Amino acid sequence: MTLQDLLDPLIAALLLAGVYAAMSAGMTIVYGVMKIVNLAHAGVMMLGAYFAYELFERFHLDPLISAVLALPVFFAFGMAVHWLLVRWLPRSDQPTLASLLLMFGFWLVLQNVASLIWKNEDRSINTSYTLESWRFGDIAISKVRLAVFIAAVLSIVILQIGLRRSWFGKSIRAVIQNPYAAQIVGVDYDRTARLTFGLGTAFSGFAGVLLSMLYSFSPDFGRPFLLRSFVIIVLGGLESFSGVALGAVVLAMVETWSIQIPGVEASYQPAISYGLLVVVLLVLPKGIAGLLERRWRTG
Amino acid sequence: MRSLLHVWIPRWMRFNLTLAACLCGAALYAAAQNTISIGVVLPTSGREGKPGQYQKEGIELAIKKINDAGGVNVKGKKYQLKEVFYDDGSDSAKSVALTERAMSSDKVTAVIGGYSTALGEAEAVMPDRYQTPWITCGAGATSIFAHGYQYVFGTLSPVSVIGSTTAEFLGGLVDQGKLKKGLKIAMAVENTDHGIDYVNGIQQWIGKHPGYFTVVFNEKFELGSTDFSGLLQKVKSSRADIFLSDAHLQDYIVMHRQYLQSGMHHQMISYGARGPEADARKALGDGVNYIFSGIWWSSKLPYPQVKQFLADYKQFTGRDPDSWYAATAYDALRILAAAITQAGTTDKTKIRDALRKVSLTDSLLPGGVLKFESNGQAGYPFVIVQNQPGGKVELVYPKSAATAAPIAPVP
Repeated sequence: MTLQDLLDPLIAALLLAGVYAAMSAGMTIVYGVMKIVNLAHAGVMMLGAYFAYELFERFHLDPLISAVLALPVFFAFGMAVHWLLVRWLPRSDQPTLASLLLMFGFWLVLQNVASLIWKNEDRSINTSYTLESWRFGDIAISKVRLAVFIAAVLSIVILQIGLRRSWFGKSIRAVIQNPYAAQIVGVDYDRTARLTFGLGTAFSGFAGVLLSMLYSFSPDFGRPFLLRSFVIIVLGGLESFSGVALGAVVLAMVETWSIQIPGVEASYQPAISYGLLVVVLLVLPKGIAGLLERRWRTG
Repeated sequence: MRSLLHVWIPRWMRFNLTLAACLCGAALYAAAQNTISIGVVLPTSGREGKPGQYQKEGIELAIKKINDAGGVNVKGKKYQLKEVFYDDGSDSAKSVALTERAMSSDKVTAVIGGYSTALGEAEAVMPDRYQTPWITCGAGATSIFAHGYQYVFGTLSPVSVIGSTTAEFLGGLVDQGKLKKGLKIAMAVENTDHGIDYVNGIQQWIGKHPGYFTVVFNEKFELGSTDFSGLLQKVKSSRADIFLSDAHLQDYIVMHRQYLQSGMHHQMISYGARGPEADARKALGDGVNYIFSGIWWSSKLPYPQVKQFLADYKQFTGRDPDSWYAATAYDALRILAAAITQAGTTDKTKIRDALRKVSLTDSLLPGGVLKFESNGQAGYPFVIVQNQPGGKVELVYPKSAATAAPIAPVP
């Protein structure tokens, strides 16, 4: 095994981890505050992909710029969805069947509307740098993958700073820790939930734009990423944002390196990812972040 | 209580309406007696929507030409062909259900369909159950025809022959001095009978021609994957000289995009029967240059019937045929019509018997003759085409029909 055989998968895994983290952040935010498993997350990512596609085809706008524009657009969309649908759900400390069914139904609606508008053909965005790569000796780094990685990492960092420094971020963290205590100290739960849903949807749309730069998409886009998002947020700890980053790195590393083992074919990759989900649920129900937190508390 | 009919409509009008309804019914009945319904079960939506649409167009063009010429001759009486179309949405469960519906409740005389191998395999269980001839124009895996089905036919030559033709082509390049002997091959194929047949064809040729090539990597991937970077990583690590994949259209586009993004390069590269499609050129631009593919038909074949087909297709759809899809479907309908004429009846079993013997001597397909072997599958040679700079797709093998020299190795 040469140095290139070690570096290539490592770089690929890191680049992949950035994308995974960005696509899971939206789901984590919504679950953390509202205890809703947002199955429509896949549908919103799909809409994000088409958002970038339309801007690229009509105005030749680079998808990286579309990703920034997607944030306020999908934030407003998320707020509208919350006002229309989500606010009617009964509050609960645990995910409810009603919330699962509602978000699943909403996902189906989004898929069908997208089919009507864009048909079921696969689309792709082909920028001037989509197929180009930088070469460092025998190592090649795809320009578009690096750009997506940088955008994803920046978004996670900005989100973390916002959650720590802003009033809204503190409200979110307070509600995640204890919604009742948060209300006692003056946090408006309903307003926080509404803004959180908007923020989660914004990140989902943002992730969809980034993913559209890497993959072809159709109205069914988002399904395999939704399942990976589940794995990541369970792995990282269902309500932890730093856990999302950890979970993304772990999943990306496991997916990339496991198939390098002789005898393990690339077609086993989905089984490995979902097997990891099962193992974590059984062994580490609070995820890696929960394990680290426990260790930190016990010293 | 008197009905509304008696209250609102005068007696003379009631009589005329009744008479008109009877006449319409009689006309429809008479028309139905002069038509032969052909079920067409293909995907025009979903992952395989584009190739399915092209095949549908091929079938519809054939129906139009036959009907415009008066229809199918059955013992001196002319019958118009009527298409009954079902979109299976690229879903195999739906494909089976629609085929069953066509054969049972809709009682079509025959069914044409089954693009691709996965959907074809699913549909293939129905024909014998309902004793209705079924011709696939888009599924080429040998396994479909190895079950002993009596009503199953296919206009695609076996996929294993794509593999052996591909290896034969590469071996020819070695003999010409364009490639060195002993090169290493990496293969990544779809996890279907289509992929298995492709690998078998290549390995059989390599086995019979020792010293030409060595297979250093051979793995399968799942259809419809979004990310091939792990697989491509392994292909890269294998240090192969030639990369051969067997993939359907969308997987080809996704995989090749990631291939290019990872900066990979091989002396020759192929995606099986995929390569020259317009969708791939649109998605990947010049990135598709130099890819070669073993296909069931090329518009560059020098037959007069091919030139006529190209003109008719352009007039019918407004564009040129994309790769081979429409041609195999066009001939599937034509050979079915020929079988109905030969059978001299619309009895399905007799049509099946005729399909076993009939021969289409003005076929578009390589060799110019289409007929079914004893297992129901057609057998004719493949051609190799290569995407060349300037948006050109040239026929590069066999040499006797080549329109340009192959570019090898890839610059």
